[in-house]
Amino acid sequence: MIVGRRNNPESIRIEGDHKTAIETGRNRLMVAGALFSAAFLLIGVRVIDVSIFRSDSEPRYTRGVTKHEKNVGRADITDRNGVLLATSLNTASLYANPRLVLDPEQAAMKLSIVLPDIDVKAIEKKLRSDRGFVWLRRHLTPRQQYAVNRLGIPALNFQREARRMYPLGPLASHVLGYTDIDNRGLSGVERYFDKELRTRQRNLSLAIDIRAQHVLEQELGAAMKKFFAIGAAGLIMDVNTGEIVAMSSLPGFDPNHPGAIAEELRFNRTTLGVYEMGSTFKIFTTAMALDAGTVTLGGGYDATNPIRIARFVIRDYHAKKRWLSVPEIFMYSSNIGTVKMALDVGIAGHRKFLSDLGMMKPVLIELSETGAPLSPNRWREINTMTISFGHGLAVSPLHLVAGVSAIVNGGIYRSPTLIKRDTNTPGPGKRIISLETSLKMRRLMRLVVDKGTGQKAAAPGFLVGGKTGTAEKVSGRGYHRKALISSFVAAFPMNKPRYVVLAMLDEAKGTEETFGYATGGWVAAPVVGAVVRRIAPVLGLRPVKADEASREILAIEVPKKSDRERRVAAH
Amino acid sequence: MGTFFSTPRLSLGRKMLQINWGLILIVTATAAIGLAMLYSAANGSWNPWAGRQLIRFGVGLAVLIVIALVDIRFWWRYAFLIYGALLCLLVAVEVFGSVGMGAQRWINLGVIRLQPSELMKVGLVLALARYFHGLSTEDVGRIPYLIVPLILVALPTALVLKQPDLGTALFLIMIAGAIFFVAGVKLWKFVVVLGAAGAAVPIVWSTLRSYQQKRILTFLDPESDPLGAGYHILQSKIALGSGGMFGKGFMQGSQSHLNFLPEKQTDFIFTVLAEELGMAGGLALLGLYVLMMIYGFAIGLRARTHFGRLVALGITSMVFFYVFINIAMVMGLIPVVGVPLPLISYGGTAMLTLMIGIGFLINVYVHRDVTISRTGGGA
Repeated sequence: MIVGRRNNPESIRIEGDHKTAIETGRNRLMVAGALFSAAFLLIGVRVIDVSIFRSDSEPRYTRGVTKHEKNVGRADITDRNGVLLATSLNTASLYANPRLVLDPEQAAMKLSIVLPDIDVKAIEKKLRSDRGFVWLRRHLTPRQQYAVNRLGIPALNFQREARRMYPLGPLASHVLGYTDIDNRGLSGVERYFDKELRTRQRNLSLAIDIRAQHVLEQELGAAMKKFFAIGAAGLIMDVNTGEIVAMSSLPGFDPNHPGAIAEELRFNRTTLGVYEMGSTFKIFTTAMALDAGTVTLGGGYDATNPIRIARFVIRDYHAKKRWLSVPEIFMYSSNIGTVKMALDVGIAGHRKFLSDLGMMKPVLIELSETGAPLSPNRWREINTMTISFGHGLAVSPLHLVAGVSAIVNGGIYRSPTLIKRDTNTPGPGKRIISLETSLKMRRLMRLVVDKGTGQKAAAPGFLVGGKTGTAEKVSGRGYHRKALISSFVAAFPMNKPRYVVLAMLDEAKGTEETFGYATGGWVAAPVVGAVVRRIAPVLGLRPVKADEASREILAIEVPKKSDRERRVAAH
Repeated sequence: MGTFFSTPRLSLGRKMLQINWGLILIVTATAAIGLAMLYSAANGSWNPWAGRQLIRFGVGLAVLIVIALVDIRFWWRYAFLIYGALLCLLVAVEVFGSVGMGAQRWINLGVIRLQPSELMKVGLVLALARYFHGLSTEDVGRIPYLIVPLILVALPTALVLKQPDLGTALFLIMIAGAIFFVAGVKLWKFVVVLGAAGAAVPIVWSTLRSYQQKRILTFLDPESDPLGAGYHILQSKIALGSGGMFGKGFMQGSQSHLNFLPEKQTDFIFTVLAEELGMAGGLALLGLYVLMMIYGFAIGLRARTHFGRLVALGITSMVFFYVFINIAMVMGLIPVVGVPLPLISYGGTAMLTLMIGIGFLINVYVHRDVTISRTGGGA
């Protein structure tokens, strides 16, 4: 069709050089055709390439936000009931390519109008640099992003980022911890579970019940203010599962603004701080002696005279200057009686008992901020004597709570945990004391609140039992009389303990209302009472009526005199 | 028609039969695709583009057939005159022309607004073909004989550059290069010219307008400025990529319909096509152009006169450069230069230029056995 019939053959007369020209022309025409074909092949291949093989990488600008992108960043953290404690929000971060900035001074000035808190000079300096990328401001709000866009400054751009948000602010701040601007966990569970939170897309459910946490922090904070304390710590632990339902160290911080957190606020008093706990340790000494059988609830010790050993004199705070039965020793918090109980068990037994309760090494919990106990290098008689009433061994409040849980829950030590357990069944544990001893300890602890130093911790119907503790803080080589660690550790309900509650105030000062006393019974016990009254119904516990049989099992006979004296009196 | 031709003239009826109707069918099919795309780009409306483009195609088709039927010796005789007239128009644009889109490219002839630089592409082909037709093989090898054609190229190129229109200027040089090549200019001369051009790059660079510099820089790294100068090419690549194998369907392209692509009806029309009709549509269109060019080469090979062969090659290379530069640009293979996609892009003069070009191509075929001596007389 193209090459038609030669209809004028007679007109073909080709001269020599004309023929050559035609030959050259034809050859070159073929070459040109070949080149054109190659070029077309190239664009044809390119058409296939961009339509088929690039279809995944190019349309990134056109994709909507998918679910996967929403979850970019860290996984959420919730409390045991699913309340959101930490989440990641998508934000826009402003950056610039300084090489494309036309007028750095004007750009910096315009930016300062919509972002008033930036440093104009610093921004201008950044925009003048010869780098290809500088951050100008991280995590803008959508409104700020809109305002910056409206400036219409070329070379500015936004990077999508995730920002860690803590909707409840400072609540449970020491448990959660915080992250840096690049979303790396720096403390708390954010740090301990950093890798898991980054990689897995499932929420992290904590054992914390945020309602209990709120009550604990509120009551502790109020007491701290009332008694001018420099700090406070509180814990609530499920004695059967080991779950930490609330953990509070005051003063707290707002993890939403990690840059503004002062160093001392980051200190977690409940796990990292170690303190000589004072009389609350008598729970362990008494339980040990009862379990070892060196004394019975009916037995007792002579507490008439202070004990002198080396340069120390061990006195009673509420001295009765007579023989005291074991319930009296516990109820009146007699140092003399407790020392004698411990000495009857012996140094080795005492040390092993406390070691079994985990008092010699850091508590295993899902936090990096755990403190190692301060224990004596060589455990001598004097150490057993002082440690029996809580001096000479410094442990964290969490140690104490975990130990008390083991004493009241039937005698089994369980590692505390911040992670919600899937079942309500008690986890594995290590038996420390017998069930009988545990039952006796419940009665003794109940007695302290009923008739002893802990009466301010009473919560009608919830059968609170506990023990006060007041320790002078170590100051240099000696003790400081006015700087006290005042604490109260309790369990409830004592007929079938579910939770251990600890309240501890650091350097509380007595007030008129407390007649100048800043002891555990005066400043910490009321906190525990208030907390129990408020959280027990929330945690699903019913109050026990006064005449119910369950109270019977807590009844305890408190002998006032030793058998010998009674026999003498009978004559 | 003149009476000065020695070879017998063909009757009008015979010429009509000789017209290459297959080629016209291909041209019409291509233009139909173009109309469909313009219809789609206007969100399914003949306004403002498709309707006018249809009228232009009709006019163009008439012009094409008239040009094809006029005796080739007439065109040979008046080739320089046509070239000269177009050159005058280019000068006139410089003096009276209206400014559009930052460049002075248009001349208003009352009824139509013309872009003489487009028509000059055909004018240059005719003038160069006429000149080389008159040279013997030995003369082509002599440098003094190359001065005249170089001036023929340089004059319009300089005027077009002045507008400023870098794309068209380069276009003229490339068409001329193709004709020089087929005319038999020795290869080493091309090498020398290319080397000189390479050496001149820094000098030329400094004379370029900032937007031209930016286009080249953007081509080298389109991601550097995705919202500014790189915007067009990025959006275009997105459109191409999102088309896939068979596209999103006619009138379904989001990139073009949601106005991600400004001025989509002109130079970037191929992206509309590739997004809506996919790879299959893009390759089909390329296939039509390839057929068009095969016709061009076959006509060139078949032509008995040097003039005819050079015209056929010149027009074919013009089609080639249009298509290649436009599609390569759209796909980010070369910098963004203002070259339309022939028969598809909206634009009167470009359409007219191509129809005139195809008209000359068919003219060469119709008069394939006509001979013209070096000095003018039919042999």
